[in-house]
Amino acid sequence: MTGPSRGTSAPNPSSVAHRFGAAPADAVPRTEHVRVTAPDLDRRAGMERTRGRIVLVAGGFALLFTAVVGKLVDATVINPVKPRIEVQARKPDPQPAPAQPGMQATPATAAIVPPPSATDFGPRVKRAAITDRNGEPLALSLPYADLYANPQIVYDVDEVVAKLRGVLPKLDAANLKRQLTQQDKQFVYLARRITTREQLQINALGIPGIDFEFAENRRYPLGTVAAQVLGGVDIDGNGQAGAEKFFDERLRTDRAALRLSIDVRVQAVVRDELSKSMAAFNAIGGTGIVMDVRTGEMLAMVSLPDYDANQFRRATDEQRFNRAISGRYEPGSTFKLQTAAMALDSGAATLWSSWDASSPIHYGRFTISDFEGKKRALSFPEFLAYSSNIAAAKVALAVGPERQRSWHQRMGMMAPVPIELPETFKTLTPPVANWKDIATMTIGFGHGISVTPLHVVRATAAIANSGILVRPTILARDPDAAPPQGERIMTQQTSDTMRRLMRLIVSDGFGKSAEVPGYFIGGKTGTAEKSGRGGYKKKANIQAFTSVFPMQAPRYAVYFMLDEAKANASTFGYATAGWVAAPGAGRVVARIGPMLGLLPETTNAPAIAQSLAIPLVPGRPPGAAPAASPPAARPATPPAPRPQAGQPPANPAPAVAPRPAPPPQPRDPRQEAAPAPAPGGTVVAVR
Amino acid sequence: MMLSRADNSLLGRWWWTVDRWTLVAVLTLVFFGYVMMMAASPAVAQHIRVSRDIFLLKQVVFLCAAMSVMFTVSLLSPRGVRRVALAGCALALLLTAMTLVTGTEIKGARRWLSLPGMSMQPSEFLKPFFAVVAAWLIAQGRRETNWALRLSWPALALGMAALIALLLTLQKDMGMLAVLMGVLIVQFFVSGVHFAFIGAAMGGVGVAAWLAYLSLDHVRRRVDKFLDPAAGDTFQVDLAAKAFGSGGVFGRGPGEGRVKDFIPDSHADFVFAVAGEEFGLIVCLVIVLLFAFIALRGLLRMLPEHDLYVVLAATGLASGFGMQAFINLGSTLHLIPTKGMTLPFVSYGGSSALAVGLGIGLLLALTRRRMHGDST
Repeated sequence: MTGPSRGTSAPNPSSVAHRFGAAPADAVPRTEHVRVTAPDLDRRAGMERTRGRIVLVAGGFALLFTAVVGKLVDATVINPVKPRIEVQARKPDPQPAPAQPGMQATPATAAIVPPPSATDFGPRVKRAAITDRNGEPLALSLPYADLYANPQIVYDVDEVVAKLRGVLPKLDAANLKRQLTQQDKQFVYLARRITTREQLQINALGIPGIDFEFAENRRYPLGTVAAQVLGGVDIDGNGQAGAEKFFDERLRTDRAALRLSIDVRVQAVVRDELSKSMAAFNAIGGTGIVMDVRTGEMLAMVSLPDYDANQFRRATDEQRFNRAISGRYEPGSTFKLQTAAMALDSGAATLWSSWDASSPIHYGRFTISDFEGKKRALSFPEFLAYSSNIAAAKVALAVGPERQRSWHQRMGMMAPVPIELPETFKTLTPPVANWKDIATMTIGFGHGISVTPLHVVRATAAIANSGILVRPTILARDPDAAPPQGERIMTQQTSDTMRRLMRLIVSDGFGKSAEVPGYFIGGKTGTAEKSGRGGYKKKANIQAFTSVFPMQAPRYAVYFMLDEAKANASTFGYATAGWVAAPGAGRVVARIGPMLGLLPETTNAPAIAQSLAIPLVPGRPPGAAPAASPPAARPATPPAPRPQAGQPPANPAPAVAPRPAPPPQPRDPRQEAAPAPAPGGTVVAVR
Repeated sequence: MMLSRADNSLLGRWWWTVDRWTLVAVLTLVFFGYVMMMAASPAVAQHIRVSRDIFLLKQVVFLCAAMSVMFTVSLLSPRGVRRVALAGCALALLLTAMTLVTGTEIKGARRWLSLPGMSMQPSEFLKPFFAVVAAWLIAQGRRETNWALRLSWPALALGMAALIALLLTLQKDMGMLAVLMGVLIVQFFVSGVHFAFIGAAMGGVGVAAWLAYLSLDHVRRRVDKFLDPAAGDTFQVDLAAKAFGSGGVFGRGPGEGRVKDFIPDSHADFVFAVAGEEFGLIVCLVIVLLFAFIALRGLLRMLPEHDLYVVLAATGLASGFGMQAFINLGSTLHLIPTKGMTLPFVSYGGSSALAVGLGIGLLLALTRRRMHGDST
């Protein structure tokens, strides 16, 4: 055994042996006996330790590489990450489905389920489509491609130019050649937004260095239809307004089409009538709403002026403004329905109460007077039919501030309308401290409070819908689902009486011009002066008509409003709602009724008319208690009925109706007024 | 090779004493590297703006040069190895220091020196040379009987290591620094230093790593990304995962890879992902096992060796090779935070191939079978 030599001249290893650590001169002849020195033993022990540690290091590396092998097996076989579809973006695009045929001839109430391809453009499109309740596409994301080239790869530029121009003749040859010979560039756009067909044809040419960049484009095939409801998207496809904004997350994450409650046919009719009326009366704007009174679904929500949703980014603020939910207006006389309903429901007034409307009310610096007033005592039905402000103020005062405020609170007038759109607004209502007698009186006829048109529609619908307030929605409901639970605001009896009163306003009151034979519209006009700087503007009015049809079995609320409509020859110089707004609402009903599966009632018309009839001056039933004593502030009017003979009793229950409303139950005296009028009372028959 | 066992020429002695198994493994790896370059070349040629033929030709030249260096170096005796390493280490240190002054900046780091036709990273060469020099210094210390001298040799190694650490920190080359320090720790460990010292050294490395995490932005970003993939841009790692996922057991087939078009470093640090996608699990396993084989065989062949210097130098070279392979494979497979490091013999790159060829050449020289009494 020899130690390693450190000397400069190595002796013949077979003849001498070095001791470890000894000088070369101390080499001893190799003998059979080896002397092992202490340093040598140390060295040997050290090498043994070293060998042990080499094994440890090797074991460590074995562990590391085992981990690599394990992870490798995991990444390839056990838990592989599959490449997403975008890596395979070169596959041919699905062809867009042929356009849907126009109006479907199926019954309007049945939801038409479109073929799934109508709104599904394959995995390349990320944002979900929006359709109307019948599956008609309202908003679609269409795939498109930009054509680009990498000039460093393209060779034989002339041939490439010729080939590309074969597919895209609009490209300029000289310009194309210049673009393709820019050797310092790796990316030049050749054409933007080419069609799928062009893209496939160019792809088939197989030119190296020519490629496509894919994106999607939000399109609104119906343009202006429901523009403010849909809203719009920015250049990157993010929802900026309307449903696009409210449902932005939903549209990104779920590729199934979002089905709105809007019916494009109804929407189109409302827009058509509204724009005609706007033009005829030179109005600056308008809004129209059609709502299902039972479910709260919005079938139409129009606000004019509007915009082409495809040009959302160029629309003005005025065009984007959705008057139906963002416009705050004093509701005016349309609120008299609320005043009447709360008075009847609270017992503050009865159907046979009457009020002196012969002279204006002077209260502090306010004067409350009537438009075309009758200058006499008015019965309860007359107060609504002739829209008396004086009577409304007195009725409201009879109800009192607390009950009025609580009513409006429950009707949702104190909060934004809970609808799935981001543009809803807080209403303007007096603070509790200021909600005293004068505020109560003005709110009684719809002044001193500002709410949106949808607030009015919702509250009107609640009166007609058996007294149940529903939550408005722009989403289509499953027709088989249980009806939504609403909050009962008034008794069934109040609602039934109010339905007849609403019908009376159209059949014999200021709302006559909305009448459409066979549809039994009931509603209320409202003309409110717009408040401007320094008070009300005499010449600037909001003319609205809020209505529900058919009154014997209410289905749809129709609201029609013009902003600053001016009188013309056909209205004989009048610019009130009865002249400018009510006729439009009537035309809307006449046109949308058949679309919604409601045909004008002809055979049973007299029976229905009778069921809805109510005397203009009902008599007090025998034994009925007198109405709650009116406030001292107004001259007491004797609530004595005027007996009239030979009058058939009004039938409380509709004789024939698609969905008969439950007959009012004569539980307390005030409800017995209608079923059993005094003989001889004037009964207004429906024409 | 028709060489008689009695052939006493330089070549003859080399052939009968060299570790032919390792040689075969290395040549197999080189073959795989060439195939990978052919796979990655179309995408890469576009990426680094050279024609595909030039790209492949360069890599062939690099690999041939690396093989020549490996062969030439493997002819050296252990003593020759030591001399070459001492000279090379000094030169590499000088050049590494020079990069700080005249270096070319690539991807935000200053580690390269521009040479005609290639850029060279001198610190790549520092790794094998310093492993040999450190081994020699540690072994030299063991020969001394005087305790002061016994300590001063290893202290010199530590001093050099400190200098290199400073240079690499200035270059922000934490990966290279980690491998160099790891090799040094392995060498001290194998030399028989008490476990307490090794523990202290590991603790020091841990503290240094923590400091790097706190003070160096790119280190923190990468570690954060590793710990919480949702936090940051894990573009390359995600694509690599997809590459392995789509490759499966047998791969998509040569040239059928798609992910390579999207990974910027598909020819360099992420070449293993290309292998995974085109050739699948089986070929990848072969590659991993080849690396493990070379590293473990280099270590285990030192078990009968008596010369501490040879043992330490060879374990240093073998573990350096193994660590580099592990860091690359681990990064690509998302086993550890992303650390830019080439896969020996497989990744594209001139200085990487030459440095790895040099390191394996030195390892082959040290693992050659020697008769007792052969001078070291």
